[in-house]
Amino acid sequence: MNRIARYAAVALILGLALTLTLAFQRDPHDIKTGTVGKPAPAFALPSLTGSETVSLDQYKGKIVVLNFWASWCIPCKEENPALTDVWERYRGTDVVLIGIVFQDSADAARDYTTRLGNTWACALDGDGRMALSYGVFGPPETYFIGADGIIAGRHIGPIDEQTLMTGIETLRAKSATR
Amino acid sequence: MTTARWIIIAAILAVGLAIAWTARPQPLSAAERVDRISAELRCPVCQGLSVQDSPSETARSMRALVAQRVAEGRTDDEIRAEFVRSYGDWILLSPPLLSFSGLVWLAPLAAIVLGAALAWSRARAPAPAPIVAGPTDEELRRLRELVASEPE
Repeated sequence: MNRIARYAAVALILGLALTLTLAFQRDPHDIKTGTVGKPAPAFALPSLTGSETVSLDQYKGKIVVLNFWASWCIPCKEENPALTDVWERYRGTDVVLIGIVFQDSADAARDYTTRLGNTWACALDGDGRMALSYGVFGPPETYFIGADGIIAGRHIGPIDEQTLMTGIETLRAKSATR
Repeated sequence: MTTARWIIIAAILAVGLAIAWTARPQPLSAAERVDRISAELRCPVCQGLSVQDSPSETARSMRALVAQRVAEGRTDDEIRAEFVRSYGDWILLSPPLLSFSGLVWLAPLAAIVLGAALAWSRARAPAPAPIVAGPTDEELRRLRELVASEPE
């Protein structure tokens, strides 16, 4: 019986060590639960700049980088230069950057984009339903949607240029092999 | 059977019926359903608060969505499933038993069962046999020699 107890204790310790190893390996910015790996929920939201609508459907077959932001969000300001650089690099290609205004007023958001010179499409998620359908925790949060319409990845917190490029190029390579 | 026993049985039955009557499923109003579902959902931007208890903007949006789904005639399971699709099982304050998060229920049970099994097997194990063998002839001889060599 003592032998069984010893085996059980060793198994418990090994299990704990394995669990901790797996937990510490995980990148907290890359939460895979929820919508990742599933079709991106459709949306059609009012554009921040005009009367037109921004919808996921209009970008069918393209790689979509969806960035949730707000003018009151300090980390959003931190990541803005990376988004600007990537937008300039991929503008007019098969990659689209869409900003989704999260829990913010249209006026404050418009003022923010004017001040920072952002020119990519932005949409207002007035009632927050679209953010809920994507499983957003809070801004800034970025989703990578492949040309197949599947959410390939998600980044929580301010994103840098390297992460954006890696996410986009991985999806481009995947599209090229299809 | 004596009258006293009949009275005890009747009292137990009465208490059982009263408990069953109180615990019977009752139809809830739409507002009560919204409250109940909101209380089961975790507020994503809070620390351990339910959507029902949180004053945050996100919780307000979630509550409004729950209310809309209830008004549309969706079942509680369908509404919960919609949030689980977006946020995973994590969004449920009480994770389902048959999921990875369900380990929070199963692990303590497994530990109790394992502990009980260990305690039971220890209790059933025969007590260690007492040492009944006496000293050997050689040991006796050496003892006698020692005693004999002791000064008076």
